[in-house]
Amino acid sequence: MKKILAADNLCYSINETKLFQGLSFDLFEGKAIHVLGGNGSGKTSLLKIISGLSKPTRGSITKSNKKNVCFVGHKNALKQYLTVEDNLSLLEVDKHNDINAFLKKLELSKLLDVMVASLSYGQQKKLALLRLFLNDSDLLVLDEPCVGLDRKSQDILCSFLREQKEEKKALIFSSHISLDVDSEYINLDKAIS
Amino acid sequence: MKLINFEFLKLRKKSRGWLGPILVFILIMTAFPLTVEILNKNLEQAFFSILWIATLLVMMLATEDIFLEDYNDGSLEQMAIKYDSLSGLVATKIFVYWVLIGIPISLIGALYGFGITRSSESALQILPILLITTYIFLNVFSFGNALSLTKGSILGTLITMPLVLPLLVVLGKVVIAINLGISFLGFLFLLLGILSIIILILPMIISFVIKAHLE
Amino acid sequence: MIKKFIHQFASPKTYLFQVDRAYPYIFYASLFVYIGSLFWGLFLTSEDFVQGNSYRIIYLHVPASFISQSLYLAMAFASAIFLIWKVKLSAYLVKSIAPIGAVTTFIALVSGSIWGIPTWGTWWAWDARIISTLILFIMYLGLISLHDSFTDYEKADKFLAILVIVGSVNIPIIKMSVEWWSTLHQTASITVTEKPAIDASMLYPLFGSIIGFSGIVFCLVILSSKLQILLREKNKSWVKDYV
Repeated sequence: MKKILAADNLCYSINETKLFQGLSFDLFEGKAIHVLGGNGSGKTSLLKIISGLSKPTRGSITKSNKKNVCFVGHKNALKQYLTVEDNLSLLEVDKHNDINAFLKKLELSKLLDVMVASLSYGQQKKLALLRLFLNDSDLLVLDEPCVGLDRKSQDILCSFLREQKEEKKALIFSSHISLDVDSEYINLDKAIS
Repeated sequence: MKLINFEFLKLRKKSRGWLGPILVFILIMTAFPLTVEILNKNLEQAFFSILWIATLLVMMLATEDIFLEDYNDGSLEQMAIKYDSLSGLVATKIFVYWVLIGIPISLIGALYGFGITRSSESALQILPILLITTYIFLNVFSFGNALSLTKGSILGTLITMPLVLPLLVVLGKVVIAINLGISFLGFLFLLLGILSIIILILPMIISFVIKAHLE
Repeated sequence: MIKKFIHQFASPKTYLFQVDRAYPYIFYASLFVYIGSLFWGLFLTSEDFVQGNSYRIIYLHVPASFISQSLYLAMAFASAIFLIWKVKLSAYLVKSIAPIGAVTTFIALVSGSIWGIPTWGTWWAWDARIISTLILFIMYLGLISLHDSFTDYEKADKFLAILVIVGSVNIPIIKMSVEWWSTLHQTASITVTEKPAIDASMLYPLFGSIIGFSGIVFCLVILSSKLQILLREKNKSWVKDYV
């Protein structure tokens, strides 16, 4: 099994306040990790470190394929004043083979020429998730992907994630809702000494 | 190339972003004769000072959310994950702003110059200066707004305005040269030199700043 | 190698203890030098032929303008060290120099203004040197407000250092402003390369006052950086022992 990600003795602190320390784990292809922890335990910080946005205060992160990360955060990266179609081209997914299938599945195909600003929060979230569904990365980093999604879309997301695992992709996510995906757990509340 | 297209699309569809600054510029340039007695010789003398200050102010306003919007909606986050350095993106953004805001304002400024000084020669001389100056201003104010990204453009202005003030002195000298009919090519090359240094260095610094914001 | 060296000697803890030991000597020595030069300059030298007695404010004005620009250069230097070697101490130094720089620039402006009344007949002129000093003053205030705007110290330090370095392009312009524009302000009285344009009887006390004033300001920087270190490292155990 190929190791996608290795974290060694990670420590992260803001203004000398430690969020977590001594965190070590490996992530192999076809595996998933669910990051647990209360508010302010550093879940988002950890995921940002893994995706390469932040640097850990101490410790190191090694990735097998450095630039091939798909990150879905709290922010949607959508332009409110552009139509769905324009946004798809900004996300660089408009030429993808499966785009129409996914648009149909997520009930977005009739909304192509609508401004994103007039979509509901859940619809925008689904649109943002297209970047995940149509990605070609081998490491998927998801920060609370289920917020604002209805039951049906959550199921689509979970079944997609299961498929991705079978396609030998590695997965790491934080979520307050339990996702129907086999995964190991990391609890950040226990990573403070 | 893809980046340029995207940035054009984004700015073009947001008319307050590019049309707004141009209209504000026209408003300032139209308002200033009201404060001077019309048909007075003073109009001509004050014109260039107003022109530089108006350009400065409008470039400042124009860059207000050059990065803020992308930061707030998470686009910058995605770009930073995808690319090692954001300086390409930064340079593209500033270039697009220059094409859609800087060039029109330079043309309008030269037109006003013609209208007020009645000399097509000085209007033509002022055009290249304006083109370069707007580009420099856009770069510098983008830097300020990158530093003060989430803290409002007042802070951005406060910290970058002192950086462009020496430039205003050069611009003042250009006007003297034009009025006296001396060659101002030396100043033109000086401005070009400043611009090329800025284009090379500032996008890298801005990229560093933005990455620090994303942490 | 260099990195290790710097980190060892620039640990806030070592700095604090070294500085604590040196501080009283520097302070009293510079106070002595400054007061001595002031006494010499004010009472033992003759009146200026043109300016009368009013020139004597030079012993405040020149040291203040000198130190206000030097402090900026010091900040730029410390910022570069911070950005290149990530030395935290230099970030503390930059932060603690900024307000002192602002104050000395303010002193230079006010004393210049007072000097202007008898010599130029006006307390304020739109003169290149005055404007550029005013700009320097605003730059210092801008630096302070930039640092204050960020609650995350790591970001604040980084942004401050970058702005200081970018802003340092203005320093040579401020320095040269008197030569480049035709202005009221006299060109610098003392330069390194040329023979001084003032009489030796004024020159020595002036030198003394510059050195003494700089020493006093240096002591202020030390105090302010001490405060900064204690504030920022308050969770460290050695700080608790120290206090």
